[in-house]
Formats: sequence, C-alpha cells, structure tokens
Amino acid sequence: MADILRVEGLSFRYPDSPKSAVSDFELSIPEGEIVVLAGPSGCGKSTLLRAVNGLIPHMYGGEYSGDVLVAGSSVKSSNMRDLAQTVGFLFQNPENQIFMFSVERDVAFGLENLGVPREEMRARVDEALRLLRIGDLAQRAPHELSDGQKQRVALAGVLAMRPKLVILDEPTSLLDPKTASELVALVAKLRGELGTTFVVVEHRLDLLVEVADRLVVMDGGRKVLEGTPMDVLFDNEAEAHGVAIPAVAKVQRLLAEREAGKAAAAKLLTPSALALAVEGRLT
Amino acid sequence: MMWLSGGFIFRRGDSFYHRLDPRAKLLNSVLMFTTTLLARSIFEMVLVILFMVGLSAAATVLKRVARTMAFTALFSGFIFVVNVLFTRDLETSVLYAIRFIAIVVSTSIFFITTSPDELEQVMKMFRLPRDVVFAFVTAVRFIPVMMLDTIQIMDAQKSRGLELEKGNLIRRVRNMIPILIPLVVNSVMRSGELAEAMEARAYGAVPRPTSLLVYRATRADVGVVCAAVALFAIAAYSFYFVVPVRFP
Repeated sequence: MADILRVEGLSFRYPDSPKSAVSDFELSIPEGEIVVLAGPSGCGKSTLLRAVNGLIPHMYGGEYSGDVLVAGSSVKSSNMRDLAQTVGFLFQNPENQIFMFSVERDVAFGLENLGVPREEMRARVDEALRLLRIGDLAQRAPHELSDGQKQRVALAGVLAMRPKLVILDEPTSLLDPKTASELVALVAKLRGELGTTFVVVEHRLDLLVEVADRLVVMDGGRKVLEGTPMDVLFDNEAEAHGVAIPAVAKVQRLLAEREAGKAAAAKLLTPSALALAVEGRLT
Repeated sequence: MMWLSGGFIFRRGDSFYHRLDPRAKLLNSVLMFTTTLLARSIFEMVLVILFMVGLSAAATVLKRVARTMAFTALFSGFIFVVNVLFTRDLETSVLYAIRFIAIVVSTSIFFITTSPDELEQVMKMFRLPRDVVFAFVTAVRFIPVMMLDTIQIMDAQKSRGLELEKGNLIRRVRNMIPILIPLVVNSVMRSGELAEAMEARAYGAVPRPTSLLVYRATRADVGVVCAAVALFAIAAYSFYFVVPVRFP
C-alpha cells in the first residue's frame, strides 16, 4: 500500500534554541497502520507531529530542512486548508480544542470553516457522533462534559473532517485507566472501519502495544529504535531511552534471566498470553 | 454584581420561547424596550409589564425574572424618590420608576433565553467580522474554564500560606497578585494552544464559512413578534396622536 506519510531527512530548529528539536528524521508509514511514537519528554515528538500537520513551518518559523510528504504532497508547499483535511490532530488537552458552545456545533467547526454545504455537514457530524457513541451529548455544553467525553468530542471534530491520517498527542494522559483503554479500543475500531492511519504519541505503552503495528522510539530529536512493538520492547536499549516497558515484557525478561531464555523466546505482549504460557509451566 | 449577572446569564431551558428564532427574540426584546420608552401612562406601562411577565411565565423563567425585578426595584425606588422631590408629580415619578424595571426586564428576557450559540448567529446576522464573532464565542466558552482555573490557583496559593482575607484594602488588593499572574500566564498559554487547534481545523480557510444551524421563522416566532408589534403600535399611537391611554 502507498505511504500516507513520509518524513525525509527532516531537521528543525526553533529560532531561539541552540540545538535542533528534530534531526535527520526518516519515517514512512503505509496507509492504515497504527504507529506509536514513544520517547522521553522533550525528545522532539511534539515538534515532529507539528511538522506533519503543517503547523511547522506554516505557523512556527525556524530552521527547516528535509521534507515531509503527506499523501504524496509536500507539507511545505501545501496550505493549511488542504492539510487540515488530510491530517487530523488531536491535541493533548481536549479542553483547548473545543471552541463552540454545544457538542454538535463543535464537531461541525472544521466543516463550517471549510464551507461544507449544510446537508453534507449534518450527515458528517451525525456520522462522527455515531462513531464515537456520543450522539446523546450532541446538545451539551463543553463544561458539562467529563474529560473522557471531551476527548471523544474533540476526536469527533477531527474525524468529521475525514482525515486519512490522525495524530493523537498523548491522548490518554488526562484519562482514567478505564476511559483510556476504551479510547485505545476505539482507535483500533476506527482503523478497522475507516482504514484511518493513526500516529499516537503515548507513554502508556501497555495499552497500545496490543493494537499497534509499529513502535518508533525517539530520543534527542533522532529516531533510535523502530520495529514491531514486540521487537522494540524486548530490545535492551528501549529502557535506556526512557520507554516504559509494560509489566508483561518485564516479567518475561526476568524469567529469561533466570532460566536462560526459555520464556524470552515467546515475546508475549498481552497479560492473557503470558498467563497461558505460565499456566502450562505451573501444572 | 451577582444579581445583575444572574438576571443576564443564559441557562438551558426547553420552553417555546427558548426555541424561538434568536432573531425573533431579539426583535421582541427591542420592541418591548422601545414600547417602555414610548409608554406615557401607568396603564400602558402595566400592559407592557404584564406582557413581559406572561412571556416569562411561558418561557419558564418567571422566577428568575421576578428576582431581577425585585433587585431592580431597589434602584427604581431611588428613581421614584428623586423624581418626587424634583417634579412633585406622583404619576410621572411612578412611571419612571416602573419604566426602569421594564427596561431591565426586557433585555434580561433576551439574555436569559438566548444561548451563546444563538447570540453568535445574531452577531453574524449583523455582518460582524468573523474574527470578532469568534472572539466573542471563545470568550463566553472559556468563562467557566477560567473560573475553575481561578479556584484552583486560589486553593494552591492558599495552601502555600497566602492569606486572601487579611489586612487592609491595599493589602488585600496586593494579595490578588499571586492569583492574577498564574491566571494570566495560563490564559496566554491556552490561547497558544487554541490558535494551533484552530489552524488544525481549517479556521479561516474560506471567506464565507457555512453553518450547521439554520433558523427559519415558525408560527410561534411570528405570533410573539406580532403581539409585541401590537403593543408597540398602541404605545406609538398614543405617543404621537392622542393623550395617554389610561386605566378605563
């Protein structure tokens, strides 16, 4: 399948900063993948994301080299209007991306800005509300919503624009564990139903590794590891780059150290898979 | 200030009046407002007030309007006293006092039944620039958010030993500085995030954005406006052509 996103040797330095936030970054993502981007705070994740949806270089000045191609066209030469329709961006704090006084108006915000005719807008808003199962909240005001609901509303507003690529910037950071795992399930469901590509920046890897196709680890503005979640999480380097290794993987590593590699060979990522494997040994 | 804000802040309701076209609500309030200015007898003024009370009852906001009226009565009592002292005309003084209440109520009805969404539509109707309308929308939208922010900052500073309720006036004003600075910093950072989110959702992509909401005048809109026009006509007629219509 064609690559929806290609980052080609991207480097970017903010005007007042002595060193580059992102250096020589290479990445290509085929359509329909769920890619998780991990790494310590300040490693350049946010800068990279802003370069993908065009905020860099269209809103932020700075030293820019290399190129970012979204659906085949260069972000540098595309305008924000076209980019907004290809790349959806869910920012970390949903509060600051809900503008309107009612949920349905907010979901329609991007479509209104694009001048979408009313009938089509109605249909797309209803579809987005249905996908995120928030139809019953349509008339609510933002201050009447919980954090999890706000997150869904903000995501609905992004999806209503029917982007091919959706960026989620730490989507679970403000959510309780139950709501967080619901959101992850939702991402997997949307990828299945709409074929949307997702790039997710996340620290809580235990939730996402089950649905992710690929894990990319960044550190100091560079890509340091890339591969399937299994390969990356069982790589000894991952922890050194500040990646939170899920407990399931940690247990296996400890077992492997004790028993010379028997459990490590399996590389299991879910608690249920590990339970099955352990059960066999216990009896 | 609390009574004032209470009488002008929108709360969601589901009456026929809430569902009216915001343009009809605006027109109706403007008509009621002008009628109170034209009314020259207590009888006419009472008619206007009865009409407004009836509307408030139908809009299920009578309680809030009554509270506004009660608070406004304090001021109108003052107006009455001053007028009696200067004009020595009891009827005129009563008229002015009631007129003040009526003016406040006529605008209050509009604001407590019109959601910010609808206010936005009204502003658009007046062809205000999109940026101005949007600034208004976000300002209203973030009032509750900033109130929560303020409470959090106050709690945080109090827990670090800031005593807000201590000292003389100057001291108390100075005590607000540790509240205001974080609040302003927060808001500036928030506005940066808002700007990014607006860009990401194509704000300003086309010169004439479309709107999800559409208003069409219904029979109820026409009915309410007609009633207000009738009342206005009586007042205008009596104002220009005949002596004030008094109690029969």
